[in-house]
Amino acid sequence: MYVLVILLIVLAIYVIAYTYYGRGILERRVVKASPDRLTPAWEKFDGIDYVPANKYVLYGHHFASIAGAGPIIGPAIAMVYGWALPLIWVLFGNIFIGAVHDYLSIMASVRHGGISIMSISENVMGRKAKYIFLAYVWIALILVLAAFISVAASIFVTVPQAATLSVLFMPIALLFGLLVYRTGISVRMATLIALILLVLAFIYALRTPLHLTYEAWVVILAVYGFIAAALPVWYLLQPRDYVNAYLLWAFVAFAVLGALLTAGYALTGPAYTSFKAPGAVIGAIPGTAAGKAMVAYFWPAVPLIIACGALSGFHSIVGSGTTSKQLSSELDALLVGYGAMLTEGAVSSLAVILPIALAWSFTSLEAATGAPISSALSKVGIDVAKTPTILGLPAAERFYTGYGIMQALAWSKILGMGNFETLFTTFRTFAAFALSAFVLTTLDTANRLARFAWSEFFDWLKPIDETAYRFLTNRWVASMVAIAIGAILAYPQISVYVPELERHITVYAYAIVWPAFAGTNQLLAALALLTSALWVYAVLKVRGWISLVIMAPALFLWITVTAALILWLVAIAPGLPLLYKLGAGTMVAITLILDILLIALFVYGLRRAS
Amino acid sequence: MSTRGVVEVIGLLITVVALLILAFEILYVGLFTGSIGSKGEVTMHSILTTIGWLLLLVGPALWLGGVPVNIKKMVEARTGRKLS
Repeated sequence: MYVLVILLIVLAIYVIAYTYYGRGILERRVVKASPDRLTPAWEKFDGIDYVPANKYVLYGHHFASIAGAGPIIGPAIAMVYGWALPLIWVLFGNIFIGAVHDYLSIMASVRHGGISIMSISENVMGRKAKYIFLAYVWIALILVLAAFISVAASIFVTVPQAATLSVLFMPIALLFGLLVYRTGISVRMATLIALILLVLAFIYALRTPLHLTYEAWVVILAVYGFIAAALPVWYLLQPRDYVNAYLLWAFVAFAVLGALLTAGYALTGPAYTSFKAPGAVIGAIPGTAAGKAMVAYFWPAVPLIIACGALSGFHSIVGSGTTSKQLSSELDALLVGYGAMLTEGAVSSLAVILPIALAWSFTSLEAATGAPISSALSKVGIDVAKTPTILGLPAAERFYTGYGIMQALAWSKILGMGNFETLFTTFRTFAAFALSAFVLTTLDTANRLARFAWSEFFDWLKPIDETAYRFLTNRWVASMVAIAIGAILAYPQISVYVPELERHITVYAYAIVWPAFAGTNQLLAALALLTSALWVYAVLKVRGWISLVIMAPALFLWITVTAALILWLVAIAPGLPLLYKLGAGTMVAITLILDILLIALFVYGLRRAS
Repeated sequence: MSTRGVVEVIGLLITVVALLILAFEILYVGLFTGSIGSKGEVTMHSILTTIGWLLLLVGPALWLGGVPVNIKKMVEARTGRKLS
């Protein structure tokens, strides 16, 4: 299979989905969006969370927030099944579930004054559903925080240049915000200044790594997440995500250009390897009996592996959390909600699956292209003799190594093969930085959302004891609880001896927490889409095939994820270290119970609306 | 001095300290040694850099304080509501 074929198929599917399903059905026939309705950003402006934003700024925020490690790490892990199954899952999930539930969550929230999807559930499923949903979301967000702190810390240890750039990036974004909001400089001029500084920072970072240990990064990132979640959105979140969006667009644009320039190369990876994989793929410790057992069947295990690239419940919390409070016009929601999700799918399919599939076998690709791949890899510490295929690398490294190889192949066609090694290290660092930028933005947004969920959960306390309520929901107190628990789960790194490799390997916390995070997150997606579907059915009174097209994928997803989480609890959790058995294991068990309660309330709500 | 004034002064001080730390670490240590900190270690330079980074997030927020005037004006014009 050639790179060009995959590229054309993916782009065509996205254009058709956005035009016909997004605009034609969801915006015009289901929601009937209107620019004349005043959105909560205007009606409830408070200068902290409710602040109207330019649609491109908001697209940047939403895209940067929803695109965390999920669209990259998940597909990179799932490549163990070959490239075809992950690609099909990403495209199907993206169009029929992920983008739909992102868009509907935003619009449902906007029509309910900017409240979260959890509180909307109160209107369609009753008051109990709201508190169950809020508890569920808060737990799921802790797992998001744990996984993402661990991913970011591991990237900064492996590619310390990305750490330098991340540190330089924040002041540049703050400067952009101050220029626009305080000095009155035009957005265009401020953008230009910020982008020039960003390029200079990238050049500086390439030559100047910032070294720290994994544990130190976990602590620093937790402090960062705590502070950033409590600051006003106009100060850090909006300008940071706006500038970040340029970086992420550049990242996606390079992926498309890279695919075009390497269009004639054949993928060295197999389309399909097997329908089952070892338990280590879904979080078991490698080298152990659970890690070796072939229990990770693609179905139902796929939602434990591929999270945000295909669909993610976390998005509905972002959509109905920070995004809906900043939406300036209802017509902006299609680009922001549906469009950002398709862009995220493009990250998974074109920037992760395609490059890894191309660079799968290092020696085959070297023979086919004549590029000095082995030599370039040895410069970043990868010995092709010991690691002949890209699957021998940890998930995050598969991504930035694959991306680096594809880009180096592409641009060395223009700049000469003599520049291959320099191009490879440059684009590898760029990819690692893009991943860390994805992760950092999601990290503090996740903590902000955990703060919202925490505050909404305690609203029953307000009439009983206002002082206690005000203390518990104080933005600094509410920002601290979730990130502290997340950091404890992210802190350990485990050294495991793998007899097959005859060496110890380091297992970062994210490899263990990931399936628990992904599973609860995907279940949340099913619940959020079911809530949105019920809102469409009961409140908007949309019936017939359109209602069915929204509800059927949600039910399919609910069955899939519930089965996957039960599989994880039975086959994987018992073999984990105590912290994760008690931490992640208990959280998953609780979320499964809450899930059953919510589905019962959903059925009740559906019957009441019929 | 009002509470708001005290907060602004503290914010300004934090901002200045953060900028000095970052300028020293990035422009002096980073440029002249080619790296900040050493691989696999927690060094004074890398800790100072991250502290400077975190302080720079907080300092301007305290110093420059509330919602910018042009955001307030935009909301007042659209909603007809007077903001305090």
